[in-house]
Amino acid sequence: MHLVPPVSRDRVISHFPKWYTPEACLQFKDHFQAQVRSACHQRNTGTVGLKISKVVVVGDLFVGKTSLINRFCKDIFDRDYKATIGVDFEIERFEIAGVPYNLQIWDTAGQEKFKCIASAYYRGAEVIVTVFDLADIQTLDHTKQWLEDALRENEPGSSFIFLVGTKKDLVSGAACERTERDAIRFASEMQAEYWSVSAKTGENVKEFFSRVAALAFERSMLKELEKSNGRMAQIGAGNLIKLEGNSLDAPESNSQASLSCC
Amino acid sequence: MMRERREAAAAAAEEEEAEEAAEDEEDDDDEGEEEEGARGALGKSAEELRTEDVYDISYALGRELQALGGDPARRARLQFQLVRVLELLEALVSGGSRAAEQLRLERDSLRRELGALRGQPARHQLSLGPDKMVIDLTDPNRPRFTLRELEDVLQERNQLKAQLHVVQEELQCYKRVHKESKKEVLENIPSISVRK
Repeated sequence: MHLVPPVSRDRVISHFPKWYTPEACLQFKDHFQAQVRSACHQRNTGTVGLKISKVVVVGDLFVGKTSLINRFCKDIFDRDYKATIGVDFEIERFEIAGVPYNLQIWDTAGQEKFKCIASAYYRGAEVIVTVFDLADIQTLDHTKQWLEDALRENEPGSSFIFLVGTKKDLVSGAACERTERDAIRFASEMQAEYWSVSAKTGENVKEFFSRVAALAFERSMLKELEKSNGRMAQIGAGNLIKLEGNSLDAPESNSQASLSCC
Repeated sequence: MMRERREAAAAAAEEEEAEEAAEDEEDDDDEGEEEEGARGALGKSAEELRTEDVYDISYALGRELQALGGDPARRARLQFQLVRVLELLEALVSGGSRAAEQLRLERDSLRRELGALRGQPARHQLSLGPDKMVIDLTDPNRPRFTLRELEDVLQERNQLKAQLHVVQEELQCYKRVHKESKKEVLENIPSISVRK
């Protein structure tokens, strides 16, 4: 394990970030689940290995996948278009509920000719972000195909799905609302959470990725707890283990339902 | 053909002589026409000359011969020689125009063939098969590398990027440690001087 500097202040998430629209969101809670919170509290001392989640960003060429990622990870916006060759990635460090957490964000090429290369990187995605251009309705139509391709490489139900409309700065109020309505309908069909963003102005970009990070973090914590829970049951008795087991045996009643809502 | 024509011309000249008075006016028209044909034919270049022109010339010469008068034996010899020359000319002209016609036909069929080839460039590509591509080897920006090579390069780039990420983080840590130790040294200096 290598030395890790402290996470920058705007990557520290202590409260669960809010959705963009309640009409298409993955969960309504505004706090982390109790067992995740307590687990985070106990592991605060830093004995646990670094957690990392894989995010795959897909969508038509020129919708702004790279721009979206660059705005979030480097806080830059390049007006000139440069097609992504194959795939690229960024690692973004967070501290969520006191626990260090990384997002590995995979930026895939939108050009058809790179599909065979990019699709090899779809596997094991905890989060699939399908991106379209709010100013180009056709790119919204294509998101279903992109999602289908990405889902084919993953276990059913293992990935969070997001639908993101970019270039919000380019569309006026009425047109934007109309496209958003269509997109929200798409999102609910795709069982995705919807976001409108602008990489140029930075609008909603940080909020979006914080939401992605929090959801992915919580799920990965729950998965780990489930695993260790199983292991403890096998090991059997022991006061200390029993104490921890008790807190795990009483999850919030709405936890499973809230994960699969919408 | 030439001989027939020549005989016809000679017969016409004789007939004319016999019925000079009777058909003067009628013949004038005919005669004028033929004379004109001969003049036109004699004015043509060798390439332009047709067999019809040779007949016109033959007719005109026959008339001139009839009108010449003098020793009939010498006239007959001259006529024989003229007929021979005209026969050779006829053969040359008709041979030449046949060759020209053949070349024209050949040229036209080659033109048609060329037009058809130019009109269907797709046919040439189709013969490659539906999933084939033609690469211009003189294009400096032509496709060169294989999918496998690109995949390898990308994988290598990604590994290096991941390593860079780790190194950058460690560097940040060392910078912080360095800064803090510097601060400590500076803070310790006055305490040492106080002890003195």
